[in-house]
Amino acid sequence: MYSGERKSILYVLGLYLSSTILLIATFFTSYYYYEQEQFIHSEKEILKKYTLEVSDKLSALSESSSERLQYPRFEDFNSAIYDIDKNLIFSTIEDINTKNVKQGFYTIDADSYLASPITPYYLGAAYIVIQKKSKDVDILNNLIYIAIITVLITVITSFFLVNIVLKPIRENIKLLDNFIKDTTHELNTPITAILANVETIDSSNCDEKTLRKLERIKIASASISNLYQDLIYLLLNHKTSLQNVDLNLSQIVTQRVKYFTNMANMKKIEFILDIKEGVHFFADRQKMERLIDNILSNAIKYTNKSTKITITLKETYLSIEDEGKGMSKNELDKIFTRYLRFDKTQGGFGIGYSIIKSIIDDYAIKIDIESKPNKGTKVTLTW
Amino acid sequence: MVKKTALFILFCTLLNAWEFDKNCLVCHGEDFKFHIIMNKYTLKYSSEQRIKEAIFEYLKEPDINKSILPPEYIKKFGLKQKSNLDDEKLKKMIDIYYKRFNQQSKIY
Repeated sequence: MYSGERKSILYVLGLYLSSTILLIATFFTSYYYYEQEQFIHSEKEILKKYTLEVSDKLSALSESSSERLQYPRFEDFNSAIYDIDKNLIFSTIEDINTKNVKQGFYTIDADSYLASPITPYYLGAAYIVIQKKSKDVDILNNLIYIAIITVLITVITSFFLVNIVLKPIRENIKLLDNFIKDTTHELNTPITAILANVETIDSSNCDEKTLRKLERIKIASASISNLYQDLIYLLLNHKTSLQNVDLNLSQIVTQRVKYFTNMANMKKIEFILDIKEGVHFFADRQKMERLIDNILSNAIKYTNKSTKITITLKETYLSIEDEGKGMSKNELDKIFTRYLRFDKTQGGFGIGYSIIKSIIDDYAIKIDIESKPNKGTKVTLTW
Repeated sequence: MVKKTALFILFCTLLNAWEFDKNCLVCHGEDFKFHIIMNKYTLKYSSEQRIKEAIFEYLKEPDINKSILPPEYIKKFGLKQKSNLDDEKLKKMIDIYYKRFNQQSKIY
């Protein structure tokens, strides 16, 4: 998985899932209310039928001149009657409110109730309340199960969808990696040859003009060598043989500054060094050199001519500050993206900060980049 | 003491019954369908309080619009005369009437 792929997958998944879940939620909410309405409607119809049955029985009973009137009782439901002032007359419902009647349809626990007004007032009954066991319909639980299954299916399909969308991008990245890999292999022999031969040229026999040319060749070779080292580091996927040792960081920083001096001189850049002696760090030498080289080469590459680069090394931090063109907030946010270059006028592959990030992550080094456009950039590594 | 109290209650009940017979049954007679009248009041007024109020209003000021009997019946037999009883006594008689003939107390 290339850098940023996980982020892309998460973004697309998030977007796809949130919109799908929103859609499902809207659909399910509507369905829930529809089902509830249906439930209330069907319950009401049954209760209305029972109300008519009780009303008929009361009508017949009110005509009776008997000394005792037996209140109608049913197997499927219970009932109660209230007078016009809402006082209970008689009830077969347990725990009924004797002083008031709540009108309309309502449910309490697992029971459905319907209180309806009636006229004329048979036996004085102005309201009939019917109580029955509610139909056992658990709409919410069923919906939750369906929602969980739907979301799971959505997650799986969206994962496949993201993979399909990312496939061409992945292939392009692979193509680019292969291209760089092939190119790097081809560069290896000529670079080694150039560097070896340049170092062996006897400069005492050269005139001034040839010396300047020789200097330029050295700088160019150092740049290519630097780039080669970066590419090798990436191509081996950071799996270079790791040898963590106690490094004299002060010595290494001084050496790397010296290595870049020729390059800096070309742009008339002055190095201001504030390096504390005897600073040690436990790490792999090659990795630390890659780290320092990348920050330094960036500082030289993007700084203006005739400016200064300040390098400070203390016990717990290393800072490299240039007076270059700086970066905007937006550029800073994307700085660790591989192959991304903000300034196309400068050479490189846009891999410098990607390498920096992988090394600082390996050694839990904290990086702080302060940058202002046209003012400069200050990179501080703290450990 | 209990015996005396029981005797007193029995005496009051008999006295009330005697008063109802004297004030109501003396005119309406033995065959008057008291339970039918109560049934009609119950169908129209529902609650004890409203039934008693309606009977009281009618007996104090008999009016064809206040009557629960059909207009044809009123036309044939005419409206009853105003009650001569004072309000307190009339209410007492209505209470006895309601207690004896109301339908709700018969429900079981």
